[in-house]
Amino acid sequence: MTASASRRSFLKKTLFGIAALSAAKFLPFENAYAAVSETGQPLKFFSPMEFLIMKNVAARIVGDPADGHPGTDVINVSLRADAFLADAEPEIQDQFHQLLTVFNGALFAFLFDFRFSSFVEMSPSDQDAYLHSWMTSTLSFRRTAFQALKRVSLSLFYTDSRSWDEVHYDGMFLPWERAGGNK
Amino acid sequence: MIIQSKDISKPVRESADVCIIGSGCGGGASAKVLAEAGKKVIVLEEGGYFTSGDFDMTEQTAYQNLYRERAGQATGDLAVTVLQGKCIGGSSTVNWTTSLRTPDFVLEKWAKTFDVRGLSSKDLEPYFERIEKYLNVHVEPEEYHNPNNRIILDGARKLGYHAEASGRNTRDCKRAGACGLGCPFDAKLSVNVTYIPDAVKAGAAVFANFCADEIDVSGRLKRVFGSVVDQSAQKVKTDFIIEAPVVIVAASAIHSPALLLRSGLANSSGEVGNHLTFHLTSAVLGVYDRIIYPAGGIPQSALCSEFLNKNKDGGGFWIEAVPVYPTLASLAIPGFGNAHKELMRKYPNIGASIVLVKEIDSEGSVTLNSYGRPSISYEAGGRDLGYLKEGLNVAAKIHFAAGAKRVMTLHSQKMEFSSPAEIDSALANAEWGANEIALYSAHPLGTCRMAEHPLQSVVDSHCETHDVRGLFVIDGSVTPTSLGVNPQMTILAIAEKSAEWIAENRLKTM
Repeated sequence: MTASASRRSFLKKTLFGIAALSAAKFLPFENAYAAVSETGQPLKFFSPMEFLIMKNVAARIVGDPADGHPGTDVINVSLRADAFLADAEPEIQDQFHQLLTVFNGALFAFLFDFRFSSFVEMSPSDQDAYLHSWMTSTLSFRRTAFQALKRVSLSLFYTDSRSWDEVHYDGMFLPWERAGGNK
Repeated sequence: MIIQSKDISKPVRESADVCIIGSGCGGGASAKVLAEAGKKVIVLEEGGYFTSGDFDMTEQTAYQNLYRERAGQATGDLAVTVLQGKCIGGSSTVNWTTSLRTPDFVLEKWAKTFDVRGLSSKDLEPYFERIEKYLNVHVEPEEYHNPNNRIILDGARKLGYHAEASGRNTRDCKRAGACGLGCPFDAKLSVNVTYIPDAVKAGAAVFANFCADEIDVSGRLKRVFGSVVDQSAQKVKTDFIIEAPVVIVAASAIHSPALLLRSGLANSSGEVGNHLTFHLTSAVLGVYDRIIYPAGGIPQSALCSEFLNKNKDGGGFWIEAVPVYPTLASLAIPGFGNAHKELMRKYPNIGASIVLVKEIDSEGSVTLNSYGRPSISYEAGGRDLGYLKEGLNVAAKIHFAAGAKRVMTLHSQKMEFSSPAEIDSALANAEWGANEIALYSAHPLGTCRMAEHPLQSVVDSHCETHDVRGLFVIDGSVTPTSLGVNPQMTILAIAEKSAEWIAENRLKTM
């Protein structure tokens, strides 16, 4: 691609992107309030929108459960994240609020990744691609942000004993020692 | 006597001969020596007091109660996770029991480069002997190594590398695998079940949930100010002031410099918080046809130290097994989503080994953030990064030699090998920037460096700060270089020796 074509394409995408972003801004808020009301509990740290972002992030980072096993909704990772972050140090709390705003923001999704919607509005496969772009970005702050989201999602999922069956973790001692034998 | 925040209802005002901040290897050993010497000792521990009955062998409970920042402490850019204990016994309560003496070449370097006196191998020999006896340090018989440790023993030996059983501080070990989550059988002879109870028996008072905020020096007296924190609510309950002529800061290489910086003490050299080393660590995972079950059995009982100081430059690496509980596994396994979950489902068939670098040109630091809390930064040096790459290469080959069907590193961009022939070129082309590979440290060291010259260090060879008579730092902060072995034996030996010196010298003159 030549430099001028690249610039034209960028400008075209920019104008289209801004128009698209302006048109579709209010739908996610309804979803956010719906997600919060489903929990039946008041939030301690997240705003409703942040809660929805975290819910989506956790689902994509942890991955789909196999049949009969609990996913992030059953284990309620986003609500656990809310409680966890409510107890975190003020500096971490500030950074996490900022992180979720930037990560979900349609403008940032457009600037970083030429995507025309916020994270919560993307399809699951687009969300995966967007997360992948943060994980492998050449910008170190995006990789750091991805790490923060990965840590919160996975640690709050796998510290819950309901997640263990799917990964065949059965507590301490070696399997044959638990069964009373020695190998 | 061990006092917890639940026992406290009003501000605490106490005085003692010695106030020790921290109850891990440095603080615990100092407390025992000084209390047994007849001194009035007060120990302050920021974390809680938990005993074997509280340890339920789950990550949830352990991270919540026993670890700093629930095992989430990290450098500012989250590139290196820094695991530390925060409870009575400090990191010894949650370490994996490996008990090794400081290598001779390290002690020689301290004497030669930093003019450290009285810490030669010969000087420390009686201390190591005594500690090994006290903590029942021993190696396990061949049949006790779990499959994860057997990978190192068998794989390394097949490749012609030296691998051996490592010393462990346990008695009547049940081989559950829970060392990192607090031993529910009191079989691990960590500081919380050895030095601290013996210090208490000799008259020491230990205060749990007492967070030291600042030290004030006024003439010969020091005052330690801080907050009493409610363990369950994690909210400040009241405050305390402890007065003593001798204060020992033993809050670890992350939190000791932070306390000194907050207090504006002992920093005329400008060296407080500098020279942080990590034993920079990453891992390889092998997927096997057979069951490994990396959380079960003795977590860490073998090592390969063939490559430590092999080039006689004071650097290199060593390889140990690592117990992998589900959460630790999930954070280490590269990537996310369904591919990540697929690998998690192979959990029982995964073996894991860590590569730990004995740094020679990396530099880290601890400074204060705007909230007065420690902010950690770290830059891996080129030579150390070279050793990390070499170590991962060797560890991957060890896994193949032990029968792994595929082996991977912890790079974000999945780096997986199906044969040893693929390793060299793949690692040569890998990315090594921040958060492009998962990095860890369980051994932060060196931020209140020991040396005889006051312009290049914070403490002298007795661990007394150059600037303030009667103010000591006794923990992993004082090591002038990284060690090349798991640090608990080194810290215990330095602590016992320094505490003896304090009892015999400083407390008689203050």
